[in-house]
Amino acid sequence: MNGPVERARHRRGRTPLPAIAAAATALGLAASLAVAANAVGNARDRATGNDARMAAALWELPGAGAQAVAQFLGNRVAIQAAEAGGRGPGEYGYEAGALDPVVWIAIDPEPASPSWPAGATVPALLAVLLMAAWATRRRHHPPPPRYPATTSILTAALLALVAVAAARWADLELEDLSAAHVSHALDAASIASATGATPATAARVAGLPWATATALDRPDQLWTMPREVARAITALPPDLRAAGAYTIQANGATYHAAHATLPTASGAAPPPTTLHLAFLGYQETAAPTIPLAATTTATILALNLILFLLPLSARPRTLRRTLAAWSFLAPAATLLLLFTFGPLLFSLWISLHEWHLVDPAHPFTGLDNYRDILLDATWWSAIRNTAVFTLHVPAAMAVALALALLTQGSRRAIRWARLALFLPGITSVVAIAVVWKWLLNDGYGVVNQALARVGIGPVAWLTSPDTALPSLMLISVWMVVGYQMVVFQAGLAAIPRDWYDAARVDGAGPLQRFRHITLPGLRHTLFFVLVTSVIGSFQVFGLVYVMTEGGPLGATDVAVYHIYREAWEFLRFGNAAAMSWILFAVVFAATWLHFRLLEGRRDERRAYA
Amino acid sequence: MRSAARTALLALACAAMAGPFLWMAATSLMGQLEVFSPGRILPASPLWSNYPEALTSQPFARYFLNSLVFAVAVVAGQVATATAAGYAFARLRFPGRDRIFMVFLATMMVPVVVVLIPRFLMIDAVGWIDSYQGLISTELVSVWGIFLMRQYFRTLPRDLEDAARVDGAGHWRIFWSVALPLAKPAVATLGLFAFVDAWKNLLWPLLVTRSMEMRVVEVGIAAFHSTYEINWPYQMAAGVVAVLPIALLFLFTQRYFVRGIQLEGIR
Repeated sequence: MNGPVERARHRRGRTPLPAIAAAATALGLAASLAVAANAVGNARDRATGNDARMAAALWELPGAGAQAVAQFLGNRVAIQAAEAGGRGPGEYGYEAGALDPVVWIAIDPEPASPSWPAGATVPALLAVLLMAAWATRRRHHPPPPRYPATTSILTAALLALVAVAAARWADLELEDLSAAHVSHALDAASIASATGATPATAARVAGLPWATATALDRPDQLWTMPREVARAITALPPDLRAAGAYTIQANGATYHAAHATLPTASGAAPPPTTLHLAFLGYQETAAPTIPLAATTTATILALNLILFLLPLSARPRTLRRTLAAWSFLAPAATLLLLFTFGPLLFSLWISLHEWHLVDPAHPFTGLDNYRDILLDATWWSAIRNTAVFTLHVPAAMAVALALALLTQGSRRAIRWARLALFLPGITSVVAIAVVWKWLLNDGYGVVNQALARVGIGPVAWLTSPDTALPSLMLISVWMVVGYQMVVFQAGLAAIPRDWYDAARVDGAGPLQRFRHITLPGLRHTLFFVLVTSVIGSFQVFGLVYVMTEGGPLGATDVAVYHIYREAWEFLRFGNAAAMSWILFAVVFAATWLHFRLLEGRRDERRAYA
Repeated sequence: MRSAARTALLALACAAMAGPFLWMAATSLMGQLEVFSPGRILPASPLWSNYPEALTSQPFARYFLNSLVFAVAVVAGQVATATAAGYAFARLRFPGRDRIFMVFLATMMVPVVVVLIPRFLMIDAVGWIDSYQGLISTELVSVWGIFLMRQYFRTLPRDLEDAARVDGAGHWRIFWSVALPLAKPAVATLGLFAFVDAWKNLLWPLLVTRSMEMRVVEVGIAAFHSTYEINWPYQMAAGVVAVLPIALLFLFTQRYFVRGIQLEGIR
């Protein structure tokens, strides 16, 4: 097996699929990020250039000059004689050369917002390279036949997500630039007209397509605009046009536009002139990212499928067996894909949007939902309540273990105790909640009446913020203890009786036997119960929904109930989805921690063996 | 002596566990004002009329029918999907089997609330809100069930299958006429747990049903509770009726419940 020939054969026989997939993913990621970043960069250059051009036009306007330029651009501008050095490297500028002297108007570029696609390129590439290195690392054994698709479906999905997010980011950036440009153009036009320019000149200074009020009825006169946009503008109701800046949807993009009624120079000549400003949207720049991502993803998947089926078709028996197995798996796999894996990604998608149930528009907001939630004190209090609630798990396990030990070895006791102990765990949660609400009633509940008999004053079990959560924890212990006991009984039955007998012969007392035989023997059972119970207790809902509705004063507002209200009472689906992902992360971290702890112990035991 | 102490402790625990149920039954037979008189433990004279009055004040018969339809459909779906998938994972060899199984298992870690919103939107998109198919369709597969069936199929001896294979039976034939009949106890366990879980499912039916006609028992009792806030005997009567079917079911089938727990607990 370890001869050089075999080893060489393994090396040759191994398809470098993961490497190919990783490389394709890296290329796709880099390409989509670069396209998005490039589109935004170009638009930003163009916007600064436009500002410079407007400033130059203002400079050239008789009666305007440096003062108007300063008013237009504030401290973003530096005017200097073109001969005196001008044009520094990387400066945006415009030569206003029609008048003497020729000057160079240098403008600071549009302030850049934090641009994560460009910034993320390096870490993303690094991550993909690491993944590739991991996937192609040397194995000691030849890898079994496997689905190259399983890893690359995930990377492809990641790629698609990143690419779409990058495209959306570019859209948002371009929208900002577009809106900023419209307002700059309005400024330039009104500054120009304030210095006495005619509307036509003012429009030329602003560098904008324009028309008088009468020309509005003839879209073909709005010649600088795409025809569709011009039509959309003329189709707007007049009162909306009078409202200044607005956006219109045309050509599958958003356009920012504005109307301004400029004062005529002397204030005398009617009619007031309406200036139509519009600036092109972003559709021609960012859109290619999405088809690109889709093509890359499809290529990766197709490549994988081919590379998986090719070697398999050479082995008809394996192929037949695989197809048979998938015919068994198909129903479950389809349902899981449709109702678990799909929704997982979908909810991640929702969490990146402002998503209201009743509002058909779902604007992309990036990580805003997460930021809002992380700053929201009520959410943190819900998480804290959930964590405190989870502390009932160890208490319940202790009681359950004690009960399991009590019934150990006596079959009849087990059977009789089981019915009473088990019922709370399997029966209607709502019914249980209602009963306990009655039992713990402040004035008439049987618990407070019994306590009054022994001289303890009425306890506000569910109506005081201090006791409400502990009360729910107590009820929860009562509910889960029977189930846990049965699991422990099974675990105890699996420990050989001989060990106890041997320990007794050696003179070990009951406590020592418990410490050195029972607990180690139950380790896996304890772990299993702990993990499943903690996962379950993070999802508590029914008790809270019926008994306290999160109150009093939010003392029992647990995570799932909080999410439920966020989504179905306030209809903020985007926020709720983000919250549920945070909860998922918490559950995942808790489970992972448990597994790590167990793994550590197992290694330790192996060292002793 | 020690045995007596043990029995006493156990009896105490059982009393603590059963107490709330007994109290529920006692209150359900009291008069509306009788429950507020201090020191009252048993009803002066059992007021059986509470039951018909409480159960007709809302369409409880319909709630029960809905719960039954929901639970039975979920049982059928989960048994079908879990036995097939469990068999494939336990008995068939195919590339990536263990990894796919791990991916399936990992979904047990996902809190239901994460997928709830997308599921709701999907069901809404196909217009299934407030219908049986909307209620049922998302619940037809249980990863826990797949795990259970896999564990059980692995314990079956291979000889029988081999004999069938020699006779020329295909995988589906072996599954249907050899493995599945042998797995009846595990199927019973899976079915019972699926039934009970569906019966006590509150959150999903709460979201996906709107009209009274589509409510299940859990949602119905929760709504009943908020309507008859201070009429404790009525509420307790409704509670007894909700608990009773599950209690009876458990009484006659408890060994399957226990077997299921033991199968999942020991790996």
